[in-house]
Formats: sequence, C-alpha cells, structure tokens
Amino acid sequence: MFKDVSFGQYYPTNSLVHRLDARVKLFLTLLFIVVIFFVKSYFGFMLTAFVLLVVVLTARLPMASVLKSVRGILFIIVFTSLLNLFFIKQGDVLVSWNIGRTMFAITKTGVHTTIKMVLRLVLLIIGASILSLTTTPVQLADGVESLMSPLKLIKIPVRDIAMIMSIALRFIPTLFEETNKIIAAQKARGASFDTGNLFARAKAMMPVLIPLFVNSFRRADELAFAMDARCYNATDKRTKMKKAKFGFGDAIALLFILSFATVIMLDRYYFGTIGIDIDYMIFGGLL
Amino acid sequence: MSAIELKHLTFVYSKKTPFEKRALDDINLSVEEGTFLGVIGETGSGKSTLIQHLNGLIKVQDKKVSSVIVNGLSATDKKALKNLRFEVGIVFQYPEYQLFEDSVKKDVAFGPKNMKLSPEEIDARVRRALEVVGLDYDEFAERSPFELSGGEKRRVAIAGVIAMEPKILVLDEPVAGLDPAGRAEILALIKQLQKDVSPTIIMVSHNMDDIAVLADRIIAMHDGRIELDGTPEEVFCNREKIAEIGLDLPLATRLRDKLVERGVNLPDGIVTPKQLETALANLKSGGLNERGDDNV
Amino acid sequence: MSQIELKSVDYCYSLGEGRSIKALKNLSFSIEKGQFVTLAGMNGSGKSTLAKLLNGLFLPSLGEVLIDGVSTKDENSTFEIRRKAGMVFQNPDNQMVATIIEDDVAFGPENIGLPREEIIERVDYALKAVDMDEFRTRTASKLSGGQKQRVAIAGVLAIRPEILILDEATSMLDPKGRREVMGIAKKLNEQGITVINITHNMEEAVLSDRIIVLRKGRIAIDAPPKDAFASGLIEACGLSLPPVLQLAENLKKDGFEFDNQILFEDELAEGVCRQLN
Repeated sequence: MFKDVSFGQYYPTNSLVHRLDARVKLFLTLLFIVVIFFVKSYFGFMLTAFVLLVVVLTARLPMASVLKSVRGILFIIVFTSLLNLFFIKQGDVLVSWNIGRTMFAITKTGVHTTIKMVLRLVLLIIGASILSLTTTPVQLADGVESLMSPLKLIKIPVRDIAMIMSIALRFIPTLFEETNKIIAAQKARGASFDTGNLFARAKAMMPVLIPLFVNSFRRADELAFAMDARCYNATDKRTKMKKAKFGFGDAIALLFILSFATVIMLDRYYFGTIGIDIDYMIFGGLL
Repeated sequence: MSAIELKHLTFVYSKKTPFEKRALDDINLSVEEGTFLGVIGETGSGKSTLIQHLNGLIKVQDKKVSSVIVNGLSATDKKALKNLRFEVGIVFQYPEYQLFEDSVKKDVAFGPKNMKLSPEEIDARVRRALEVVGLDYDEFAERSPFELSGGEKRRVAIAGVIAMEPKILVLDEPVAGLDPAGRAEILALIKQLQKDVSPTIIMVSHNMDDIAVLADRIIAMHDGRIELDGTPEEVFCNREKIAEIGLDLPLATRLRDKLVERGVNLPDGIVTPKQLETALANLKSGGLNERGDDNV
Repeated sequence: MSQIELKSVDYCYSLGEGRSIKALKNLSFSIEKGQFVTLAGMNGSGKSTLAKLLNGLFLPSLGEVLIDGVSTKDENSTFEIRRKAGMVFQNPDNQMVATIIEDDVAFGPENIGLPREEIIERVDYALKAVDMDEFRTRTASKLSGGQKQRVAIAGVLAIRPEILILDEATSMLDPKGRREVMGIAKKLNEQGITVINITHNMEEAVLSDRIIVLRKGRIAIDAPPKDAFASGLIEACGLSLPPVLQLAENLKKDGFEFDNQILFEDELAEGVCRQLN
C-alpha cells in the first residue's frame, strides 16, 4: 500500500547542491514555485525542464528517486487532467459525443491547457523534491528558523516551530515503516483493504489507523523524555553545530535561478511572442 | 505430504534501481507436517521475506521459476490466496502493537470474522483461543487490550492469530522484549500450541539456546540463502559456518567445546543444557578418568 | 558524599480521579562514583520509574534524590543534573531527533549552548568512543539496532556525563547488538563513568559490581553479583539466573561441587574439569 518509504527522503551525495546554504535553497525553491505559474509557452516549460535537469545532474541524484515523487501525486495529476479535458469548452472541438442529453467535447484549447497543467504540476513536484532530497531535515528546519527569525520579535516561537518541523520530517520514514508492518499483520489475520465501497474501505483502515495512533503517542512520549534527558530547553542561547554560511556556490545558484526567472518573466510580459513563435517553429500545426 | 514446499524461490527488492537487494536467492525448502522448524540468521538475512511468502503477504515475483505450495495450496493461485492466509498464521514481532479493538474479545475475533464464520463459531473460537493462551475468558473478554500488562497483551495478540486455527503457525521473535517470567510462559505456550492448534510451527529467533531446545530442525539463513539445514545437533556442529554467517553457538555447545579443550572427553552434538548435564553426569558416575587424548 | 543518594523515596503515579498507585516505596540507597550497577526487576517492578528519578525526569513524591548532594527537586539545578546523568532509552527509533547521525549527536551540546568548535570536538570524541565515526554523515535509518543504540550513547556522551543510565537499552536488540552496547558500557565504566544498567537480563548483570533488584517498588536484593545469585531470591523476584549458573546448579544435583559461585563459562568449565580429572 505505501511502497515508497523513501519518498522525498534526503539522498546524501555531498554534491555542490547539497552543500548550498539551506536558506538560499528554500528561497530559490519558493521563487521557482512562483515562477512556474508564470510559464505560458512550451518553450518556457522546456527551459524549466532543462534548468531542473541541470540541477539534478549537479546534485548527482538518481533519476529514479526524483521521479518517484511524481508517482506520489499521479492520482492528482490524472484527476485534474480529466477535469480540465472535459470541462474546458473554448476553442475548436476535436471530438465530441453524447451521453443521454449531455454533450461531451474535447477541444484543442482543452488539450493544450491540460498538457500545460500536467507539465506545471510535474515540474513543480520535481523542483520541490530536489529541495528535500538535497537538504537534511535539520538544515531545512534551521533554514526556516533563520528566514522566519524576524517573527521572533512578535513573540512567535520560531525555534519550537522549526524543531517540530524537523522532528516531523525525521519521523516520516519511521511511521511509514510502522504502517507497513501493521498492514502486514492485519492482512495476516485476513483483513482486506481494497474491497467494498468507499465507506467500507475507510472502515477497513481502522485496524491500521488505531494502532498507528496509539503507537505514535507512545513514541511521542518517549521522544519527549529523550529530548528532556538531553537538556532540551536548557538555555535560551541554543547554539548550532552547522552554521549555514552564504558562499560562492550560493551566489552562483542565486544567479542561475534568478536569470531563469527573468527569462520566464520576460517571455510572459515583454516579448510575449517569442515563446509562442518558438512553439510554432517546433510544433507547427499541432498548436 | 509436505506442509510447505518452496522451489527456486527468489525475491529481489527495488528491482532495477540503485537500491536493488536480493532478499531471497533460490530457496528450496520442504517442511513435513508436525515439524518444529527454527529459523536463524542475522537481521537482514531474508528470514522475514521468507515467512511472508508462506501466506501470500509477499507475492511470488517470478511465477515461471519459483513456486510456493502450502498444504497443497499454491501461493501463485489467486483463488487460493484467501485460504492461504488462514492456513498459515503469522505472529509478527511485538504483535501487541497491532491490537486495535476496544475489547479483548473483539480483537481476538477479528481473524475469525474475516474468515466469515458464523457468530457461534466465532464465539467458540475466541473462547478456545483465550483458554489456550491462558487468559480467563470471564476475566479478560470485556477488558480493553490497551490496559493489560505487556505479557498479557502479547498473549491476546497471539490468541488473535490462533483463533483462526491455522495448520501452520509462524512466530517471529515471539519472546522479544519480555522479562524472564514472560519469556518462560510464552515459550511453554508455543510448545502447547503445537499439540493443541497448529501441528507445524516455524519460529524465528536470535536466541540459539531457545531454538536448540525447541526445534526439531533448523535452517540458518545468510544473504538470502539457506546455508545450513538439519537437526540442531547437525547445524550447530558446523562451527565454522555458524561463525561465518555471524551467529552464535548455544551455551551448551560452547561449554562442551571449552571442556573438550581442557581434555574432557565429550561427544560432539551437544546443544542443550540437558544433553550436557547428562553427558557430564555419566562421566562423573562412571568414575573414569576419561581424558580425550585425541582432542587438542 | 555519594554521587547518587536516595533518601526515603516514594513515587506515585496518578491514575486520575484522585486515585494513584505507588510505584516506589521508601527507597534509600546510594551509588558511588565509578560503580557499575545493574538495576533489575521484572516488568512493573518500578525499575524504569526509578531510572527516571535519577536525572530529574520524574520527581519523587516523597523523599529526595541527590546527585552530588544536589536535590533533583531544586529547579535551578535541573539541567546541571541532566548534564551529569545522561540516559539512553529502550527504543532506538524513538530517541533520535535528527536524520543525520552527527546532527543527532550534536543535539545535546547545542541544547546547552556550547560554542561551535567545542560541539564539533565533542561530536568527534563521542562518535569515536562508540566506534561509529565512519558513519557520521550517514542517515540513521540504515543502521542496525545495535548501531543505533551506539549513536544514542554517543548523543549522551557528547554532554560529557559522569553517570550513564541505560534504561533497558538492550532489550530490543539482537545478541550481537546487545554485546556491542554492553561492551561500550564496560569500556566507559573503566574510564571512570558510573554506569547504571536497567535490565531484566541477568547475563548482563554478571558484568556489574553490584545488583539492585526491585520487587513491587522495594529493594529485594542489593549485593555483588555472586552474592545476589547465591541469595536464592532471584527467581522469587521474577528474574532468572544466568544460563551458566542454572547449569551449574543442575550439575550440583549430579554430584558436582564448586567452591565458588560460578559466573562465567570459563569458571564452570574449569570447575567441572577439575572434578573429572
């Protein structure tokens, strides 16, 4: 049921990308996520894919683990593309048929919108997973803490939030593993999780969810003891072993992604025709 | 007829990825009904992949080459799968962490219910199972499993599996984490289960002393292969192999070797404290000053 | 002054609705610096509760726990006491806060606000002490149970404790992991760290200087291993003699005699041999 225990898990290769300042990576990932919604031409998508490819290669990540994250949202992708495909009515009709009195039609615009939406989702997920594949939960939490540090002034417990985040990330694989164990044990007693209607299936999950919750509370309890025993909250002046430092590599990364963002923005707002022209050069009449 | 018949069973995790791992490598195993089979091997040697094949929790990967047949049912036959689940009961490690119902009675009834038995039959089985594991029905049936002691929880969890009355019972480290009193109780219970419920028992354990006493036959696994297969006496005689695959000898065997080193004449094939005791008592009462001259 | 001193300690768990159960009853004893103490008892005997009283995770309901003369009830000293008395727990998965091993070991020193250089130095020292330094930048999920517990011990050592409390730290490990952890405990003890090992495994107890056995919240036995095993009380406390001793006891019935209490396999082999030759 949950086969991808390693989904989005830190993948250590000690590459240039891994060694970047987590704050820079967080910022650039956010920037990337914003920018990807401004991409409008196929040229733009190809450029984005190329940028991601460069990053993945630099990070020395295996393609399989990057694509794994896409598989995780496959259901959402299929679902939304079907919606798009059938409900967009503008543009030339490609095929149409009647079911009862309702007419269903797939239009050219519908097809293009759907393809672009799928590309957007896939590239977005890949971009986000590169962050989690190359950054340890602790670095990530430290980065969030550092970026959120102005909020300390208005008494928001930034440090605790960051700690909660880092622990949550740390326990994801543990809980996945535990879920699989419980599922196996209940299956061994004849439980089945894939028969019946939605309600029956939800009910069939109870033998898994209840022990999972009970065990999680037990774990949380023990973890709290372990953290206390190791002097958590001993001082307000908690220090860090690894201090993120803005370096040369970070400057290059910033420059790289910023220029990518600039090209996308220019394509959208100033030279609105370039991307489209290139699209026509490549795909011609298909568009 | 063999209770279990495995032929050329191979299983590879994460096939064709950088994480590829061969968990089982051409396993051939045939287990007679009525056997108490001990399975030993380091963590990661393939034991748990092997046992999960027996009730179809893990599907046979290469149906052309491998076959898993349990009590005449083939694990590659989709229709047989459901029955296979009830033919082989598996008690996983720390089974108490899988309890979920609000009463002991309901939790134990989960398996029989999934078998679609009649309410009367379910009730009868719950009573029998609780009785076998030594929990008084009237005292425990309505209690929440979550408020029991560690040892009691484990009994309830075991009852939940044996209520399905499987012909083959698999136990993965059944005494892990229990205190000595709890251990002794559960080990005695397992012996009893073989008589009353499941004639064929497979027990995975890291404790060589327990295995040496309980098992009629032992398989030692390493890197997905069965490296040793035989009676406890045969398996533990192969000292080099046992050491090579990272396992220990039972205490009695270690002591026997230490005594032989010191010149005491003891035969090989001593694996339980009882055997050692008997051998030593014989030497003593024989009154002979037997020195094994052929021993170094 | 003893390093650890308990003065008439009671501990009650609240069950809600004003009800409570007494887990520990009027305990008084002391532990000297450098001792290796086994704290044993069957499940529910109160041994884990007692462990948590030693570093102020629990506070006594009555009486006092003193670490180097300072009461765990003194709020200003809570962290001083936790720095002195480090604790490793049962489940290796539930005490790791970070994914990367060195990050986890650094957690304690970071909490007490040490400067960066010193944290790195301590992480180095701690990982070397448990022989895990080659794993420092790896993720913990790929380790064996024994290795995970060694990392947990390193996490405690990085705080430079004077007392190491192992709260059933070996109970979920296989024999190999158990040996690894006990080997490290023994080594640290030889370097002067007081070790308190909470367990129900009497084979581990053989390594210690002293065994304290709890039964129903009271001390039933407090003696060196040989005397504790000779007391005839071990089984009554829900524990069992180490297998070597059991064997020795049975051999006595067959007419063997041993002039000393047997603890180790070699002692037994020696003793048996002498009577056969």
